[in-house]
Amino acid sequence: MAIKKPTSKLLETLPEDLDMEPSESDLETESEAGSESESEGDEDVKLAEPSKTAVYNKEAILDKLGDISWPEDVDWMHKLSLDIDQEQEVDVNDDLARELAFYTQALEGTRQAFVKFQTTGLPFLRPDDYYAEMVKTDTHMEKIKGRLLSEKRRIEEAEERRKARENKKKAKEVQAEKQKERAKQKKDEIESVKKWRKQRQQSGFAGGEKDGDMGLSFEKVKESDTSKKNKRAGVSPWDRSGGKAKQSGGKDRKGGGGGKRKSREFRDSKYGFGGKKGMKKQNTAESANEFKGFNKGDSFQNKKRKK
Amino acid sequence: MGKKRKHSDVEVPAVKKDETAAERPKRTLLGWKDKPETQQESTGFRNREKVLVTCSRRINYRYRHLMLNLVSVLPHCKKDNKVESKATKGATLNELVELKSCSSCLFFECRKHKDLYLWMSKCPNGPSVKFLVNAVHTMEELKLTGNHLKGSRPLLTFSSNFDKDPHWKLLKEMITQIFGTPKEHRKSKPYHDHVFVFSIVDDHIWFRNYQISCPHTGADKIDRGGLEKMTLIEVGPRFCLNPIKIFGGSFGGPTLYENPFYVSPNQIRSLEKRQKAGKYAKKVKAKTRRKMHEMTNPLETDEFADMWKE
Repeated sequence: MAIKKPTSKLLETLPEDLDMEPSESDLETESEAGSESESEGDEDVKLAEPSKTAVYNKEAILDKLGDISWPEDVDWMHKLSLDIDQEQEVDVNDDLARELAFYTQALEGTRQAFVKFQTTGLPFLRPDDYYAEMVKTDTHMEKIKGRLLSEKRRIEEAEERRKARENKKKAKEVQAEKQKERAKQKKDEIESVKKWRKQRQQSGFAGGEKDGDMGLSFEKVKESDTSKKNKRAGVSPWDRSGGKAKQSGGKDRKGGGGGKRKSREFRDSKYGFGGKKGMKKQNTAESANEFKGFNKGDSFQNKKRKK
Repeated sequence: MGKKRKHSDVEVPAVKKDETAAERPKRTLLGWKDKPETQQESTGFRNREKVLVTCSRRINYRYRHLMLNLVSVLPHCKKDNKVESKATKGATLNELVELKSCSSCLFFECRKHKDLYLWMSKCPNGPSVKFLVNAVHTMEELKLTGNHLKGSRPLLTFSSNFDKDPHWKLLKEMITQIFGTPKEHRKSKPYHDHVFVFSIVDDHIWFRNYQISCPHTGADKIDRGGLEKMTLIEVGPRFCLNPIKIFGGSFGGPTLYENPFYVSPNQIRSLEKRQKAGKYAKKVKAKTRRKMHEMTNPLETDEFADMWKE
């Protein structure tokens, strides 16, 4: 939370008819508009130059000081006050630097104090088993703990998400690379086939079987690549979709796996081979020899009654 | 209780005269009491500071919580009911402090539901200071995660610029007496586990309260590297004091010091409003100026003006 914010030059733009303070130096001072600082909510603006009518009665102040202060020889243990030297001037508006300055002052002070305590030999550190009323209740500390934990979790989740995104990007890149390679390979192979055909043409179709073997070998190699694509040529006679059923893409194959595969092979394995209509009830040799459905649930019912 | 007090009053002069006190332990209501080792450093000094903490009516919730936080942090204070803030508030407050037999007072005055003024005074005839309080953060904020014993004596740290000017010296003395818990106070707890920071930055007094967490095994010895590994966790509350005036008497009296840089929040707000109001006036002025300018420098007649007029 920003506590002090530099303001617009408030005191600079004073209309001429303003008559605030009795000191006549006011208008000049405000038009100079030197150091101004604002604190949150409660705007706290300083005058650029001190107003000339301020009272400062140093002797009286020192008198009063003498009146109220404790006697000189009071043991330090009563006062417990330490004076810490501040090395640098701290800019009020820089929150972090200011808080850091306070922190170092406190740290320095406690160090000095602890050294003094150690010399006295009295106990000054709270043992772990000392339970007493604390200034903040337990429920409040629970809230604080909950908040800290949730913040930590949020940060961790954000980290994880970022990492996952980056991994995905990388994976995509790798995938793209692979695809390119495969496409290139395919192109090369097709080129080589074409070349072979040309060669064959040129050399006048000599030696049939050998070339046939060569041709097949190419196709076998390509099987794995084209299996994922839509196989127009490979339509089986019993294929009800006419070969136009969508085959799963390469990415789905990877992403799905297991129960989610939509590919032909998976569905075949699960539901059997979809065939012609009405092939379920048929008089085949096996079905004619079955006695299954004759006595409807006979044995089962008998078992029940026996029990 | 009364018996005890009388007992101790009688004892002190006896001890003064005769260093070696009587052998037999005295009998008190609570059992046998040993001789003056447990007495206050006999001829010495006993801090009998008691602070009265009150507020005015119609105080904001935030400032009320600040006041309650301070009450929980100072075990030697007495919280009192709200005080009507009318003309003679100085006199009434002094009477109140007398009534409660306190030696100093922290009075939170909230004006217009927006501005908090803190009066810090030593009664009965000590000086008093009026501060404007800014940047208030109470202990209930979840970002301030520290905790400490309620009533343990704080360590007070002051920045070195408290010794530069007499008025800062006076303030330092007052703060030491008011915010420092007396040594053998009934409600004070042993061990020192928190530290107050008072530092002057930009002519304001900034207050912070940190919990000391230091790895240690025994109650009176720090581990060897302990001093380096000590960390501070902020407990709160936090506020910033802007001294306005220092008076010679309690809640009144001759002005000993006036802060030359102080601008009251009312003035700041009115300035802002005037600035905003000035926008319209400026616009009107600018218009008239433009008109005058146009009148004094008339444009040449344009030859082509009528060309497309048919």
